[in-house]
Amino acid sequence: MIDFTFSEEQNLFRKAAREFAETEIAPHVPKMEETSRDWDPVITALGKAEMMAITIPEDYGGLGLGYVARLIALEEIAQVSVATAMMMQVGGLGIEGIVKFGTEEQKKKYLPKLATGESFSTTAVTEPSGGSDPKGCGTSYKKVNGSYVLNGRKCFITNSHIADVQIVMAISEDIPDTFSAFIVEKGTDGFKATHEERKVGMRGCNTGELEIKDCVVPAENLVGKEGKGLSIAMATISDVGRGGMVGCALGLHQACLDASKKFANERILYGKPISNLQAIQFKFADMKIDLEAGRLLGYRAAALQDKGERTGNEWAAAKYFTTEAAQRAAKHAVDIHGGYGCMEEFAVTRYLRDAYVLGPSAGTSDIMKVIVARWVLS
Amino acid sequence: MLNIVVCVKAVPEPNVANKLKIDPVTKSLPRQDIPLVINPLDSHALEAALQLKKKYGAHITIFSMGPPPAGNIVRECLALGADKGILLTDPAFAGADAFATAYTLAKAIEKNRAVDVVFCGMASSDGATEWVGPEIATFLNMPVVTMVREIVDDQGDEWIVKADYEHGYRMVKLKLPAVITVTRDLNRPKPLSFSGILKARNKEISEWNHEKLKIPTELVGLKGSPTKVTEMTPLESRRNVKLIEGSLQEKVERLVQILSEAGVV
Amino acid sequence: METESAAVFVLAEKMEREIQPVSLQLIGKARQLADELGANVGVVLLGQDLTNDAQKLIAAGADLVLKADSKSLVPYQSELYTEIILKLMVERRPEILLIGSTFMGRELAPLIAARLETGLTAHCIELVIGGEGVLEQRIPAYGGMITIVCPEKRPQMATVANGVFPNPVLNPARSGEVISIEVPRNLPQRIQTIEIIREKLEGVSLETASVIVAGGAGAGDQEGWDQIEELAGILNAGFGSTRPAVDAGWTELETMIGQSGRMVNPDLYIGVGLSGELQHMVGIVGAKIMIAINKDAKSPVFEKVDYGVVEDCRVFVPALVKRLKNTESYAGKVAHVI
Repeated sequence: MIDFTFSEEQNLFRKAAREFAETEIAPHVPKMEETSRDWDPVITALGKAEMMAITIPEDYGGLGLGYVARLIALEEIAQVSVATAMMMQVGGLGIEGIVKFGTEEQKKKYLPKLATGESFSTTAVTEPSGGSDPKGCGTSYKKVNGSYVLNGRKCFITNSHIADVQIVMAISEDIPDTFSAFIVEKGTDGFKATHEERKVGMRGCNTGELEIKDCVVPAENLVGKEGKGLSIAMATISDVGRGGMVGCALGLHQACLDASKKFANERILYGKPISNLQAIQFKFADMKIDLEAGRLLGYRAAALQDKGERTGNEWAAAKYFTTEAAQRAAKHAVDIHGGYGCMEEFAVTRYLRDAYVLGPSAGTSDIMKVIVARWVLS
Repeated sequence: MLNIVVCVKAVPEPNVANKLKIDPVTKSLPRQDIPLVINPLDSHALEAALQLKKKYGAHITIFSMGPPPAGNIVRECLALGADKGILLTDPAFAGADAFATAYTLAKAIEKNRAVDVVFCGMASSDGATEWVGPEIATFLNMPVVTMVREIVDDQGDEWIVKADYEHGYRMVKLKLPAVITVTRDLNRPKPLSFSGILKARNKEISEWNHEKLKIPTELVGLKGSPTKVTEMTPLESRRNVKLIEGSLQEKVERLVQILSEAGVV
Repeated sequence: METESAAVFVLAEKMEREIQPVSLQLIGKARQLADELGANVGVVLLGQDLTNDAQKLIAAGADLVLKADSKSLVPYQSELYTEIILKLMVERRPEILLIGSTFMGRELAPLIAARLETGLTAHCIELVIGGEGVLEQRIPAYGGMITIVCPEKRPQMATVANGVFPNPVLNPARSGEVISIEVPRNLPQRIQTIEIIREKLEGVSLETASVIVAGGAGAGDQEGWDQIEELAGILNAGFGSTRPAVDAGWTELETMIGQSGRMVNPDLYIGVGLSGELQHMVGIVGAKIMIAINKDAKSPVFEKVDYGVVEDCRVFVPALVKRLKNTESYAGKVAHVI
């Protein structure tokens, strides 16, 4: 069945990603935390370090590596900045739509620049009507003179303001129950990133609203076929969006563990480091077991995906588990820090806030359970 | 096109290895699996080669002597941009001191192909003798400059370099082929890239043992080492520390008192 | 001098018109080793205008001085020096050859050792004649000491840093033999030192400072490092470092105290944010009072000092500096010297 060890090459990817995160991303984190913006340096760094090229095929200027490599990179980057990992992973969502469902022309047009980081992408599905209920989508399109005209509003879209290339899901005004996905470029008339959200966590990760008013999109920007929009959106979100959340969660979880270990070894109470106390040790045990389990769920799903299989179910289970576990780990980390866990100079306060944004991203825990139940009962 | 050799050593991660202690009972080092990394100064040696490759075109061969896991380090060097790797690995090479190490490396370099310049880190993080570079030079009958901090002129086969010296540096003129040992001031090694790691898939790493080098076992490893370690003694701590207690300010006051009693303030 | 009798040799070095202190220290040590072996002490000196130097070497304990005096020997030239020294070693066949861990020494020693196919130990802090007259060479490592020997090959070679052995008492009445060595002319040299350039001088010389402050990884960053430097300044102390601080780029390698760095001899030593690694601690010889500041109560440094403060140096040092700045207004405060 399985060899549970990473290859030499995968270990090198991990090393490269870790060094990148520590030298190129970490210095920008304080500013991002402070302003909830200032994402430009990390976005540029991601592009330069080829992080956006991981899942783009070599023919279009990418590295043609798979989802395991992507998970490794996300995990390492999230240890340093979940906000950055989130922007990277959602960028990968936009890329996936084009790679899997795009026409040859679309691939040639958009992928090379996405690979170098010259342009950035995202997928816009969620609306005020609910992300958990995508069919309630209000953004609509209609065919006019051979082009499509889109109208509506998207919210909670990661990379809303950064993305040059967005895959937007909309419902047909003419044909009932028909969803389609369109590539919309930044700067297109009638397509505007408006409100920027200020989130409690993942600060510096660009989240915002899109206002779409009489936005004309050329016919060649339709992704896949008309009517396939929902399945395209769902496929990319379930297989890649959730996978990306797992990377964010695993990285954050490791960071919680590392910070807690360092603190517990230095903090003296009753004449000894608190890492000697069983109550504290049991928290470490909980964190560690969860992390090991989460890793296995995640890498198993990624490995299956690399073999070409559909992995929506496996990712749902992994996303649920790792994001819930990361939230528990962050709470443990704060508890271990005692009073210091409330002080902003201690990174665990950020971990706690980041952890809880993991929950509703790319599908809430409850939705994950719905999917897993379906997996069992179908 | 230049033919460059970079000698690289796989060393236990310095931050971890520096905490190792001789066991007072067994009088030897406890077995511990410490991850191996590229000897930090060798990264600077490789970077020097890579910069020359970028400037003039070069073929870079990595030589490393070590047990099989050291192969990962060689692969990492290929991922960073070297062209070929040769791992000298053989149980007979174990226990080598600087002399035997240099001899083995020199024999391999000689066997491989004509070389214009050999870069080495000036010392390893474990061991840290600084001897291997100069001894390789002697065995290859090449001149050597140690502790190079800057390459001032690298055109043709007469170079000018700056090497660390007492309270300053010396300007040195050298004729290739030569051995150069480098300090960390020489350059800033570029990081690993994903595409570099991918490209390394097609690069060759050979493993050579003493038979391939055609040297008898008497001349390598422990047998070929003129020096031998005879004893490891743990050192007992020598002072009874008094920990100064109290609040921050109380500790400051007490320390100032100690310094004042010592005539320092 | 007979080439038959065993000899302990020292390669002495002259720089900027002075014999290097480490050379004299090694001659003193060689004298002790030679006396135990019933041998003579030979010294090799290469340079220019060496007329008065031989006598100093003899006063330090040399029985024989082999000097090569020529313009071509200044500045140091590795190939020329190697050929001259090699020839002498082959002729004289000494038991032991000691070389100071200067920049020249660290380059020459392996070149000579490799040509002679003999063993060479770096940065020794102890040299003892062991069983069967073999030289036991001790270096610190892994929290203890490692003993190295070169059982068969000769000479047994070792490099030693300045300050490890004491300065010998010079006895001007000692006598010895001085031989002038011929310097080969027109030796083809593939390497040439064109010029030696001196850079900035350090403030308080570490080797002569009576108070030394040393900083380590605990400084955290350049700002933390600068705080420790400020402390050293206020105490008018020598300011040294450990390897992690050098690796982090906060200071130069030249400030590093330790086995492969500088050896120091203060009366009072304060280690700030460092773990007391043996490699560093062996660089501190004979301090009367040792103090450590470290935030980790479990740090090994606290086993090696007289007074310890468990505090984050980034918090403690500024507080201490602030307090000391106030002390300066207490001019005339009485203190007695230890």
